[in-house]
Amino acid sequence: MASNLIKSKKVWIAIAIMLVASPLLGVVLADVVNYHEPLDLAAEIVGLRDVSEKITWTPFFDYSIPGFPAEAGYVLAGALGVAVIVAIGYVVMKAVETRE
Amino acid sequence: MHIPDGFLDAWTASITYAVAVGCGLLLWKKYERDLRAEEISLLTVLSAAVFVAQMLNWPLPGGTSLHFVGGALAGMLLGPSLGFASMTLVLVVQCLLFHDGGITTLGANVLNMAVVGVLTGYAVFKLAVRLAGNKRSSRIAGAFLGAWLSIVLAGFACGLEIGLSPSFGFYIDVTVPVMVGWHALLGVIEGVVTALVVEYLHARLPLAALPLTPQGVVER
Repeated sequence: MASNLIKSKKVWIAIAIMLVASPLLGVVLADVVNYHEPLDLAAEIVGLRDVSEKITWTPFFDYSIPGFPAEAGYVLAGALGVAVIVAIGYVVMKAVETRE
Repeated sequence: MHIPDGFLDAWTASITYAVAVGCGLLLWKKYERDLRAEEISLLTVLSAAVFVAQMLNWPLPGGTSLHFVGGALAGMLLGPSLGFASMTLVLVVQCLLFHDGGITTLGANVLNMAVVGVLTGYAVFKLAVRLAGNKRSSRIAGAFLGAWLSIVLAGFACGLEIGLSPSFGFYIDVTVPVMVGWHALLGVIEGVVTALVVEYLHARLPLAALPLTPQGVVER
């Protein structure tokens, strides 16, 4: 049953591997090549300014954890995001199961 | 693809919020049915996987980067309404917890990735399987084309929104070609990854009543 998917070790191992590898692609190489999406390119041409850094509400801005180096913070922030998504999904799943 | 705070003017931000919420309500109403725990289970796992996959930024020669978006994949595996819910969950967590994508631009980001991205992927995949039969070749072609087009159209919508937003003058003649051009290239990678994942899961997941069944795509 697909409801076992949330308990599937294989799935979470795959997600954990991606998470551990993420700083290499999300921090190290991004710094080396100066991470630049097409959206940034288009915004630059027409003079739009990103104000996120000046006005923000979260201590985890841009996948960082205060007090941790960027690479470790990136992995921990990813784990935090996954935990929040799973917590929300789990609560909804249990609510639906109860109704079933 | 995530529009940050500051890129959209108040009008564009408000209109995109309204359209995104409206589309969400319409989708839910159109496909309203009893939710099943196994669907929520797949939605949760897929959302977590897409969230992490989006953290992998692939730098490309020439000074640009991309990351997997996953809207088309969510549409193909979950159908339009749950696919929308999955991508919206990812985008809301990214925005509120990590300020990845702005709070004023969340409506636009949901519209681009959870509405345009999910519906395009779902529609193209379903059409391919319906027209060419539920064969390996049509599933792979449908998943590739659906994911490629979803990225191109999401990029188009994004270019339109930021082109309409500068304080002085409209720049869609600049922003749309930049966004569509780059995303037509980047979409190839999204297409390859989506096709591989869809085909891998098709053989392995017992998705008895989900859109991607051994018999093909079921109506939602």
